[in-house]
Amino acid sequence: MLPEFELLMPRTLPEALEMMDESSKVMPLAGGTNLLVDLRGRLSRPQTLINIGGLDELRGVRVEDGYIVVGSAATIADLKRNALIAKHGQALRQAATVFANPLIRNRATIGGNLAYGSPAADAAPPLLVLGAEVELLSKDTRRTVPLEEFITGVRKTVRHPRELITAIRWPIPPEGSVGVFRKLGLRKADAISVLSIAVMLLHMDTGDCDQLRIALGAVAPTPIRAAAAEDLLDGGPLTPEVIAQAAQLASEATQAIGDIRGSAAYRKRVITALVQRLLTNLAKDTKEKKH
Amino acid sequence: MTAKGKALPRLDLPPLRQVGRPLRRVDALGKAVGTTVYAGDFTMPDMLHAKVFRSSEPSAHIKQLNVNKARALPGVACVLTADDLPDGKLITDMPGQTGQERRKESDAPVLAARGVRFVGEPIALVAAETLAIAEQALKLIEIEYEVLPGVFDPLEAIKPGAPIIHKPDNIVASWKIRKGNAEAGLAAADLIVENTFRVPFIDHAYIEPEAGVAWMDDQDVINIRVCTQVVEHFRSIAQAVGVPHNKVHVRGTMIGGGFGGKEDITVEIFLALLTKETRRPVRLAYTREESILAHSKRHPFIITHRTGVKNNGRITGAKINMISDSGAYPYLSPYVLLYATVTSCGPYRIDNLTVDSVSVATNNPFASAFRGFGGAQAAVAYEQQMDEMAKALAMDPLELRKINYLKTGDFNAIGQQIKSAIWLEEEATQALAALGKKESVSDDAIKIGQGFATTMQSYGRIMWFHDTSRSWVGIEQDGTIVVRCGAPDLGAGQANSLCLIAAEVLGVSLTDVTFYNSDSAVTPLAGTTTATRQLYMSGNATLKAAKMVREVLLDRAAQHFREKPNNLDLADNKVFIKSDPQQWLSLADLSKMCAVDGLKLQHLALFAAPFADKLNPENLQGDIFPDFTFSAHAIEVAVDTKTGEITVLKSVGCHDVGRAINPIAVEGQIQGGSAQGIGYALMEEVQVRDGVTRTPSLSEFLIPTAKDLPTTRAIILESGTGVGPFGAKGIGEPALTPAAPAVANAVANAIGVRIHNLPLTPERVLAALDRAKRG
Ligand SMILES: Cc1cc2nc3c(=O)[nH]c(=O)nc-3n(C[C@H](O)[C@H](O)[C@H](O)COP(=O)(O)OP(=O)(O)OC[C@H]3O[C@@H](n4cnc5c(N)ncnc54)[C@H](O)[C@@H]3O)c2cc1C
Repeated sequence: MLPEFELLMPRTLPEALEMMDESSKVMPLAGGTNLLVDLRGRLSRPQTLINIGGLDELRGVRVEDGYIVVGSAATIADLKRNALIAKHGQALRQAATVFANPLIRNRATIGGNLAYGSPAADAAPPLLVLGAEVELLSKDTRRTVPLEEFITGVRKTVRHPRELITAIRWPIPPEGSVGVFRKLGLRKADAISVLSIAVMLLHMDTGDCDQLRIALGAVAPTPIRAAAAEDLLDGGPLTPEVIAQAAQLASEATQAIGDIRGSAAYRKRVITALVQRLLTNLAKDTKEKKH
Repeated sequence: MTAKGKALPRLDLPPLRQVGRPLRRVDALGKAVGTTVYAGDFTMPDMLHAKVFRSSEPSAHIKQLNVNKARALPGVACVLTADDLPDGKLITDMPGQTGQERRKESDAPVLAARGVRFVGEPIALVAAETLAIAEQALKLIEIEYEVLPGVFDPLEAIKPGAPIIHKPDNIVASWKIRKGNAEAGLAAADLIVENTFRVPFIDHAYIEPEAGVAWMDDQDVINIRVCTQVVEHFRSIAQAVGVPHNKVHVRGTMIGGGFGGKEDITVEIFLALLTKETRRPVRLAYTREESILAHSKRHPFIITHRTGVKNNGRITGAKINMISDSGAYPYLSPYVLLYATVTSCGPYRIDNLTVDSVSVATNNPFASAFRGFGGAQAAVAYEQQMDEMAKALAMDPLELRKINYLKTGDFNAIGQQIKSAIWLEEEATQALAALGKKESVSDDAIKIGQGFATTMQSYGRIMWFHDTSRSWVGIEQDGTIVVRCGAPDLGAGQANSLCLIAAEVLGVSLTDVTFYNSDSAVTPLAGTTTATRQLYMSGNATLKAAKMVREVLLDRAAQHFREKPNNLDLADNKVFIKSDPQQWLSLADLSKMCAVDGLKLQHLALFAAPFADKLNPENLQGDIFPDFTFSAHAIEVAVDTKTGEITVLKSVGCHDVGRAINPIAVEGQIQGGSAQGIGYALMEEVQVRDGVTRTPSLSEFLIPTAKDLPTTRAIILESGTGVGPFGAKGIGEPALTPAAPAVANAVANAIGVRIHNLPLTPERVLAALDRAKRG
C-alpha cells in the first residue's frame, strides 16, 4: 500500500517553486515511475508531493541560442518521437527507444531520470556525450550545472532541496556528427541496464580532427565520461589498434561492482568489447560516408 | 473370460461439427473487455482486511513473540498466532487423493510456533478495519529470534552433521528405478558420456497474485472465494481450522494463472481462521513481493547422466542421479521427484537403467508444483545429454534419437507399455522443417545456432491416486444447456473445452451453454486443475453426461418421428431425421416433450481413470500414468560472443495432442508454454543466498517480454489415440517441457560448447566460451 501523503497541484512554475521547501519532506513528483515505487517500498518518506509533471513551462523541446533545450518534464516518449532530438540528440533518441516499456516511457521524464541520480539512468550517458547542462531554478536562484558535475554519487546530486530541474540543454552538435547508444540488460525490454554506453563523434567543420566522446552507465557510482580513452582518440585516426587501446582505457575508467545482474569482471569485459564495436562501426560508417 | 463392466451409453457420433474448429473461446470476451471477475475484485460490506506476519530469518528459534501492542491498536479486530490454532497443519500431500508420500511431522504448520525454517514463513495473522491499520499492526508485533545454523545447499544438507530441518534427516523422499542391468549395459558400450546439469528455483510469476475473501453464512459454513487450482482443499482447510468438512465451502474464481503455484493452499486457511474468529468477512490479497515470498517455487535439480552408447548410436545402458532441493517443507516434493524419476531418461528405450533420486530439505523457500512437475527438469537434462552424445559420436542429433525413440507398444523406463501414438520423429522433422535454414549474419561475433528437443510428459494423475471426476449436464426447457463441473479454470480454457464437448454432443452452439464450475459445494467435484488432467478427466465426465442427455432426447424424438434413434441427429438446436433433414423439431420443443413425460434431462456422470497399485519401491516397475503426450520443439538463436547475449530468432512447437478440441486454445497453450520454457532457459532464476531471496520482485526476477520472444509457430498433430474425449491427449504441461532444452541445444550448437546450468545468462555464455578456448 502507498503511504499517505499530501499532493499539491501547482498550476504554474512559480507556484511550484513557491511550494518547494528546505526539507526532504517535500518532493517534486514528475512521472512518478521512480518515486511511487520507492514510496510503496518505504524507501522514501516524503509528506508532501508537488506534481510538476503537468506544468506547461517544463514540457517540450526547443532551439534556443544554438542550444537544444528540453523541458525537464518532457517524457521519454516525447523524446522518442521528437524531430529535434532525432537530429541533434541521436544517442538520446536511441536510449529513449530502448528505455523501459511503452507504458513507463509515457510517464517517465528526463528530469526525473537525472534527478533520481541512478548510475544506471539511461538518459545520462547520451546527455554526457552531448555535453549537456542541467538548469536548476528555485524561488530566488537560477544556475546551470554541467551534467558531469550534477550527479555526485549513487542517488546523490548537487540539487538543493528547493531547486527544481527546469530544463536540460546542450549545444547543437555540428552538422555531420553521429551519436550512438547501446544498452545491455538481461532481457530485451523493461530491464535495468547492466551497463550502457554512449559514443559520439563530433564532426569538426573547422577542418580539425573529429572529436570523440564516450560515456558509460551502470559501471561506476555515477554515469561517467571515459576521459583517458577520449584523449587517446583525440586527433588521431580510428585505426583498429587505437580503437582496441581506447576500449581498454574505457574499461579501466570504470569502477564496476558485482550485483545480481552481473559481476564486475563481466561488466569491465563487455565495456571493452562494446566500446570497441561501437567505435569500429563508427569508423566504418564515417569512412563509407567520405567515399 | 473377463467380466464386462457396465457399458457406457454408446452412441455413434456423426462427424464432429464444432470440436476441432477454431471457435472463439467462451471466456475470451470477458477477458478482453475486463468484465471477468477475479478473486481480488470481490469486496463485502463490513469486511476486514488481513495481513500476514512472516519470518525474516531462514532458520531460527522463536524466543519470544508478543502481539499485545498489535492487538491493542484501535481498528485491529484480531491477531492470531500458533497459540490460537486448534493444531493447524497444512496438509501438504496430494489433496483429495490416496497418496501420502510425505513423512510424518514434516507438514508445514499454518503458523510457526517454536521455530521458523525459511524466510517468509507465516507467524501471525492480523485482521483490521482497514489495510493501513493491518499494515501498521504488523509493525507492532514484537519477535525475538535465536538464530540457528541453516543449510542452503542440498549437497551440504545430505552430509553428516548438517543442520536437520525435519527429523530424522534431510531426505524428504527418494526413488529408484532398477531395470535390466545398468552396469552390464555400460560395459557393453563403445562410448560413455557423462554430464551434470543444473536448473534453478523459479517463480510462477502468474499475473494474478493470490487473493481471497471469506465469510461465515447462516449455517455457520465458512465460505471462501479464492483463486485456486484445487477446490478440494476444503477438507484440509476444515481440518486445519477444526470444523467438519461440510462447514467449509470453497468458491473458486477464474484464475489469473496458476502454473502449479495455486495447487497448494495459499490464503485459504488464513482467511478461514480470521473469519471464524471475528465472524466478519475478511479479505486477504498478496502484493507481488509477498506472493514471491509466500508461494512455492519450481524445484532446483542437479541431474547427472552417465550413458553408454554403441558407435552405431544404440544406447546400451544408463545411470541417472537426481537431487532436488525441496526447501523447508515437503509439499509436493516427493511427487515432483517421482515424475522426474519416471521421465528421467526421456522417450528413449533404455533396457539397462538405474535411476536414483532424492529430494532434500534445506532452509530455502519451499518448492512444489510447477507446470511440468519434475518432467520439465528431467527433460532439460536428458535432451542436452542426447545432443552431447550425438556430438561425441559425430552423429546427427535426430539420427541418434530416431535409433532410440520408444515406439508404440514399447515399455518405458518403468516398464509401462505405451499404447498411444508416439510420433516423435514426425514432430521433430516437422518442427525442424518449419525452422528452415539458419539465418545468415555478416558479423563474425554473432553465431547462429539451431537446436531441438523431443520430450514425453504425462497427462492425468498417478494411477494409484485413484483419480475421478464428475460432471453434470442438463437441458433447459428452452433448449439451452447447463454444465456443472467442479473443474477450476486456470485461464487455459478448461471451461471452454467442457462447454464445447457438451455443445457438440447436444447439437447447440457454444453460446447456448452456461457453465458453473470451481465450487466445492454446489458443483460436482471434478478434482484438481493440475497434472494436465482436466480435459482428460472432466472432458470424459462431461462427454459421458452429455451423451446420457442426448440418449434421452433421441429416444423421445424417435417416438415422435417413429424412427430409430440411430437415424436421428442433433445439430443447430434441432433434432432431425438424418436421411430427411426437412423433418425436424426444435430442441426447445423436444425438451418440453421430455419434461411432460417426466424424463430425466439432467445427468451426473463419473469418470474414473484406470486405477493401479502403488509401484514396488525397490524398482518402480509397473503402470503409473494413464498416458503421455509426446512433443518436439525447435529453436534458432543468435549468440553475441562478445557480450554473451542470446536472441531467440525462431521457435516452433510440434505436438501430437491426440485431438485438438479447440485449435485456438491448443495454440494458446503452445505459445504460452514455449514462452515460459524460453524464459526458463534464458533468464528466470529466483536467486537465493543463505535463504534470502535476492530477487524479491519482478524488477529482479525477470520473465521474458514480448521483445524477447519470437512468435512460436504451433504445429498441431492429431493421432486420435489419446485417452481423453474424442482421442485427445493433454497439452497444458507438455507445451512447456521441450522448449527450454531446445533453447539450450540451440545455444550449444551456436557456440560449440555446452553450458550445463540454466539460466543461460550472458555471463555464463562468456565463461563457457573461455572454457572452450582454454580447451
Ligand atoms: C518498470 C520500470 C522500468 C524502468 N526502466 C528504466 C530504464 O529502462 N531506464 C532508466 O533509466 N530508468 C528506468 N526506470 C526508472 C524511471 O522510469 C526513470 O528513471 C524515469 O526517468 C524517472 O522519471 P519520473 O519522471 O518518473 O521521476 P519521478 O519518479 O517522478 O521522480 C524521481 C525523482 O526525481 C525527483 N524529480 C523528478 N523531477 C524533478 C525535477 N524536475 N526537478 C527536481 N527533482 C525532480 C523526484 O522528486 C524524485 O526524487 C524504470 C522504472 C520502472 C518502474
